[in-house]
Parts: sequence; C-alpha cells; structure tokens
Amino acid sequence: MSAVRTQEALPATWVEERAPRSTRRQFVEGLFRKRSAVVGMVMLGSLIFLAIFADVIAPYDPIQVLIGIEEVARRAPPCIHLLGCPADQPQHIFGIDGNVRDLFSRVVYGSRFSLFIGFSTVGFAIIIGGLLGAVAGFAGGRSDNLIMRVMDVLLAFPALLLAIAIVAVLGPGLINALLAIGIVSIPVYARVMRASVLSAKEMDYVQAATAVGASPTRILFVHILPNSVTPIIVQGTLGIATAILEAAALSFLGLGAQPPTPEWGSMLGTERNQVFTAPHLVFFPGLAIMLTVLAFNLLGDGLRDALDPRLRIVRT
Amino acid sequence: MSQLRSRIFLLGILVVLAVILGACTPAPPPPPVPTTPPPPTFEGLSLTTDCAAYPEGSAATFQSIEAVDQFTVVFTLCRSDPAFLSKMAFSVFSIYPQEWLEATAANPAERLESPVGTGPYTLDAWNRGESITFTSFADYWGTPPNADTLIFRWSTESAARVLELQAGTVDGIDNPGPDDFAVIEGDPNLQLIERPALNVFYLAMTNTFPPFDNVLVRQAVALGIDRQRIVDIFYPRGSEAASHFTPCSIANGCAGDSWYDFDPEAARALLAEAGFPDGFATSIFYRDVVRGYLPEVARVAEEIQAQLLANLNIDAEIVPMESGAFIAESTAGNLNGFYMLGWGADYPHVTNFLDFHFGAANPQFGTPHPEIFEALVQGAQIADPAEAEPFYVQANNAIRELVPMVPVAHGGSATAFRADVTGAHAAPLSNEYFAAMDPGGRDTFVWMQNAEPISLFCADETDGESLRACEQMMEPLYTYEVGGVENVPALATSCDPNEDLSVWTCTLRQGVKFHDGSDFDANDVVATFTMGLDAASALHVGNTNAWEYYDYLWGLINKPAE
Repeated sequence: MSAVRTQEALPATWVEERAPRSTRRQFVEGLFRKRSAVVGMVMLGSLIFLAIFADVIAPYDPIQVLIGIEEVARRAPPCIHLLGCPADQPQHIFGIDGNVRDLFSRVVYGSRFSLFIGFSTVGFAIIIGGLLGAVAGFAGGRSDNLIMRVMDVLLAFPALLLAIAIVAVLGPGLINALLAIGIVSIPVYARVMRASVLSAKEMDYVQAATAVGASPTRILFVHILPNSVTPIIVQGTLGIATAILEAAALSFLGLGAQPPTPEWGSMLGTERNQVFTAPHLVFFPGLAIMLTVLAFNLLGDGLRDALDPRLRIVRT
Repeated sequence: MSQLRSRIFLLGILVVLAVILGACTPAPPPPPVPTTPPPPTFEGLSLTTDCAAYPEGSAATFQSIEAVDQFTVVFTLCRSDPAFLSKMAFSVFSIYPQEWLEATAANPAERLESPVGTGPYTLDAWNRGESITFTSFADYWGTPPNADTLIFRWSTESAARVLELQAGTVDGIDNPGPDDFAVIEGDPNLQLIERPALNVFYLAMTNTFPPFDNVLVRQAVALGIDRQRIVDIFYPRGSEAASHFTPCSIANGCAGDSWYDFDPEAARALLAEAGFPDGFATSIFYRDVVRGYLPEVARVAEEIQAQLLANLNIDAEIVPMESGAFIAESTAGNLNGFYMLGWGADYPHVTNFLDFHFGAANPQFGTPHPEIFEALVQGAQIADPAEAEPFYVQANNAIRELVPMVPVAHGGSATAFRADVTGAHAAPLSNEYFAAMDPGGRDTFVWMQNAEPISLFCADETDGESLRACEQMMEPLYTYEVGGVENVPALATSCDPNEDLSVWTCTLRQGVKFHDGSDFDANDVVATFTMGLDAASALHVGNTNAWEYYDYLWGLINKPAE
C-alpha cells in the first residue's frame, strides 16, 4: 500500500505522464483489494505448490499397493497420530483406498492431473477459439457467418454430453478426455473474442493504422488482439474451473483418466459404492475437487472485477 | 337427338351387361355345416440325425428325439450319458409351445422379449432399463406362487442395492458387497443368506493372439499372480483360492495336481525364456457386472493390473466393456489380452465346468487343446465318478500344464432379504425361485439383481442375470429342487433310462397349460429341441444365434461348416 501513498504524493503532471503503468497498477490494486480474489489466489498458490512438490509431500507412491509392506486393512479409515491413532499403526491421514493404497498420496498427486487438465484444455480452447473468433470478428461477412454458425451448432449441445460423445468416438483415456473438453469449450472463447475484436476494430488507433497502410494481418495481431485479450483471460480463469469439473465427471463415468491414475474424478467413481461403508474414500477427493474449483472461481470473479473498466469506473 | 338416343341405348346395354356379370359371380359359400371334431389322432413329431454326421469334437449326443404318443418322448443318444437328467434340468432347455415357436420364427423381437412358458409367473411388462413385471399364472399346474406380482429390478452398484433393501423398497437383493455383510447381519429387519461357492473366477488368455500363443508366457502368468492375496483382500468369507478350475465340492472337480504356487522369481525366468525379459504391453478386459464369483470387479481388475506390473513387468491397460458385447467378444475368442470372466454352476457336475470351457468347439481361449478335450470326452461317458477319475486327472493336469486361463477363486456370495420374507434362500446354482417365497403377506415381491437381462429367450443366452428371470416363467422336463442341486421332475413326471443310459423315456405331465392357453404335449418338447439343436430348422432363431448351451451340452445338428 505504501506505493499507492507515494503516488498520491507525486505532482499531478508526473502521474499523467506515467498513465499506462498506472492502469496495470490499478488492476493489481483492484485485484488485491477484493478479499475473495486474494483467498482464491492463496488457495491456488497452495494447490500449485502441492502439485510441484507432490513427490516430497506425499508419503507414499500413489500407485503403490501396500499389501506386504504395511499392516493395513483395505478401506481403513484415516489414522492420524496427532488425533489419538495408536503410534504403532502406520499413519495415513486420509485413510486407505479400495486397492490398499494411501489415499492422501493419491489426492496429492491428483492435484497435478487436475491443474494439467485445467490449463491444457483451456489453453487449447483459447488458442483455437480465440483465433477463430478474431478472424470472424475482423474479417466479417461470409467467413464471420460461417465460423459463428458452426460455433452456434457446437453450443447447442450440452457440453458434457458432447464431450461424452467425442470420447465415445475417440476411446476412453485422459488425453482424449482433454481433447473432448477442449473442443466443447472452443465456442465460448470464439464468441468472447469476436465481440471484443468487433468493438476494438472501430477504435481510432485501428483507423489510424489502416490509414497509414498497415496490412490486415498486422492490424489484427499487433493492434487489435493485444487490446482484446482481457475478457478472454477472465473467461479462461472461470473456464478452468468448469474444465476441471467436466474432466472429473468424465473420469467418474470411466471415460477419462484410466486406472491406476490418481485422478480425483476417477477416485470418486471407483469408490462410489462405499459412500456409506467408507465415506472417507469419496469425501477427500470430492473435497479436493470442490476446493480447486472454488479457487478458480474466486480468482476469476476477482479478475473480472479488476479488469472490467466499466466496473472500475463505477467503483472509483 | 339421334345422338342422345344412341347414348341412352349404349347405357342400357351397359346396365344389362352389368346385371348379367353380377349374376355370374359365385354366390357366397353356404355356412359350414357343424361337424363333430375328429377323434384326436396324435401325430408325433420327431428329430432324427446320424451320429456320424456330427462335426468332430462336438458333444454329439442325440440320435433321435421322438414323440411316441401325446405324453411320451423318447430320447435316443449316440452314447451313454450319466449326466442326462442333470443337463435336462437346466433352465436353458425349458419347453416352449410348438405353435409359438413357429409363429415367432420370423419375428425374433417378439421371441426375445415376450416368451411363453408353463411356469408360475407370466410376463406382464418389460420396461427396458427399469424393471420387469411378472404376474402369477392362474392356470399353473403346480403350487401357485405366494405373491401375485413379481418385479425384477437391477442396479450394478452394491451400495444402491443394500440401500434399497434397507429402505424397504425391495424385498430381496443379490450379492451385497462384502463390506455390507456385517451391516446386514446387524440389522434386525434384514436377513443374510450365504450362497455356497459353486463357481470359479478366472483370468483368461486367448492363445490365438501373440504373445499368449507361447505356452511359456501363459505359465509365467500362472506363476506370477498371487491368487491368495486377491482372495484375502477382495472376497467375502466362504471364498477360497482355486486349486483347480472346478470347485472341490463337485465329484472329480479336484482330480489331479493343485494349481501352481505363487513364485514371481520363477515367473520372470519363464517370461525371459519366452523372449520377454522386459515384459510386454497388453489389456485387461472386463464387464462391470458383479457376479457371485467376482464381488468387486473394478477393484480386482486394478489389483491384477498392479500384480502383473510388479511381478512380471507386464503393462496392462484396463478396458471395461458393455456386458453383452463383452460376453459376445470374449466367448468368440476375439479379445486380444487378458479378460476377467467366471462361471457359476448350471448343474452340479464336473462336465458343466470342464466340458463347456475346454471342449473342442469352444474358441474362448483360442484354439482348444486336444490334450484336454480328448480326456473330457472319455470321462463324460462314465457314470461312476471313481471310474471316470483317471480321465479327469489327465484333463486337469493338462489344463495346469497348458494354462488356457488362470483359475483365481471360488467366490462365496450371498443374497439378502427383508426379515419377514419366508422361504428366502440363496441357490447354489444362482437360480433363486421366487414363487416359493412369501414377502411377509404383501402381494408384490420385488427382487433387485446386479444387471438387466440381455433377453428373455434363454434358450440362446448364457448370462446368469437373464437366466434367473427366465426361470420364473419357464420350465424344463426336470428341474432342481428349490435352493438345492438335486433333480426333481417338472414337466416330466419321470424320465427312465435303459440299461446303458443311452435311451431315456420321459413320461410327461398331463393337464399342463402354457401361458398362451395352449396345452402342453410331447410335440412341444420335440419342437423345442428342434429349435435349439437343428441349425437347419426354420425355428433355429435366437439372440446371438450361438446356442452355446445346446451346442456344448448336446451338440448342434446340421451345424454349418465354419
């Protein structure tokens, strides 16, 4: 906050000269002022930390069957020494799963898959969808019509249903599930991108670039795109949450990650029969999915508030 | 004017012509004179073939089946068959009315979905994906069922089945999960009934696909799987690691040497000798349907995957399949990799286990081994178990040596019912008979099993979930006692053999009616067996048209060359 105060103390003319950096600073400031966004960032930070240092944090190999290594019962409930579990028993803070593996280690390693799923599918969708939307918005006319009608058709299907259909054609598996989720999220980004390109196209600086004879490619990639990515970033952050949920749903149905991959959705799916006899087996993976999705949603909301100029004007 | 007159004239001629033509057409036939029906002369059907015409390796059982009078059928066999009654009592050989078989031969959809039998229940409605409703058959010849309505439902989730039972929305369930045994026993409103382990779960390999064509690879797998560990962790009490393919409670089931002990070192050495020192990549196929022999399918699949990787460095991908497709592909020998399947006894005889799986005509493990099936053919003709033993020693040792599959476990399982259900039982052959149960005075009995029947025309099915539904409606000549394995007469009052057990004369029950109102007689029996056995018959129409049981147990007639 000290930086802000310093800025206020500066002469007005100086601030005006540094206007571009001030926008960025305003954005960071706006983001940090929103408490939910901060909570989201902290949660996401710890998740990324968990994913990077999974080898160090997890006490066991996630696919290691513990039979013959330790005296543990299948689907044993959590045993935490601090909470009164006898010290002569091995500690498993989330308990043991249906194939006698340490659930905590599996949940920790699962964070890698979920983050990978989230970022890769949304990255894929943004690149393809963003490009399509930009071309549609910039070129207009017949190509706009063609691209956007195809996107409308894709949007007409329920996302999960379309993803299931795509996986059914490609065959079950993590990569195919990622591809399916990526494909079904393309139209959202295409629409958002097209809308912001359409508005940016009418800006004075674009007219100016056209007037000095810049090529259409240059105008699109140098002048319009950089000024249109903001809504995509917001949409993408929220989209990661959706993608993680959809991947979990596909894995739950047995169409996504295949055993013994420690993916949260498939962990839920394989132990769904034990909701009452061994609730910890569905509780912890479910909790992990919930927290991750919540983190991305909080951050996405915060980003939108901080990046949307209209909201900012209202607040200041 | 003259024009008009000529037109009237023409018209007049036409009218006259029409009247003449009308008079010439024949008058409607006089109403038939009521005649007294001729005295019932019975024209018996028969099915005859030449014993030498059966293809090589076929079970080649029947020489002829003949309806000698209205209530007598004579089965003449090509060889003596001591297990004749045990086989005949299997519900796949239930009797259908001759007229219905002829009527539905051109309409397979009706044949598969609305069968007509003689049993205590008749089909009311089959809501696909939801339930099957049966109502009691008013003209049933035997003891009428206690509940007027019987409903079959299904859920693949054992937790869902137990929940429904606890909620009281169903009266009985099949296969509660092993973890739920204690819960059910602790609940005063429920009863748990354990089912004897008359089954086998095996890990199969199809020897037509490399590297499973190499016997050393198959032996390595046999040595490299810790079967006791699988039983200890995943099976309920009453289960055991399989020492032989057939459970020991069946005579001659355990003749010969016991299965290999777990030895990962020797397994890896064998695999290296076969040319795979670093293992190989393959798949494990299964259907996610709980059966008595396999309580937790997906968990066991992952365990086998982990064991194959740890003990043999075989990297197997797990591939769950839809139930019907899995059965069709695995039994046809089309699965390239391991597959997890099992077998529950249909009749308590060693031939039901060994002859079905290792017979010369079964492609499910790839090319059948003559070392095994030649001994089986000889053993099957001997009635005295002690006398037949050497052949079963030979067959079991050959199975152990050639490893068409790895027998893993004989699984204990259970059924559970609400406490007020009387007559509740868990049949060793998994053919629970609901007409004998009384749901505490309620008029509807709801049963929840593991999966939806594939079809209700069980003459051409092998799936136990389908057979149980058929068994409520259909009856064979003999049947098994309720909740047991002894043969008792059903549609026949007796079937008597000649001295060398090669000619069986069956006297049929009189006054039995089919669900469609027609009377049961000897021609229905011959028509039913013609439908099942004679591949050239127009009646030979089913679901998969594999006719597995008719083929393996009796041998198909006029089977087209492959």
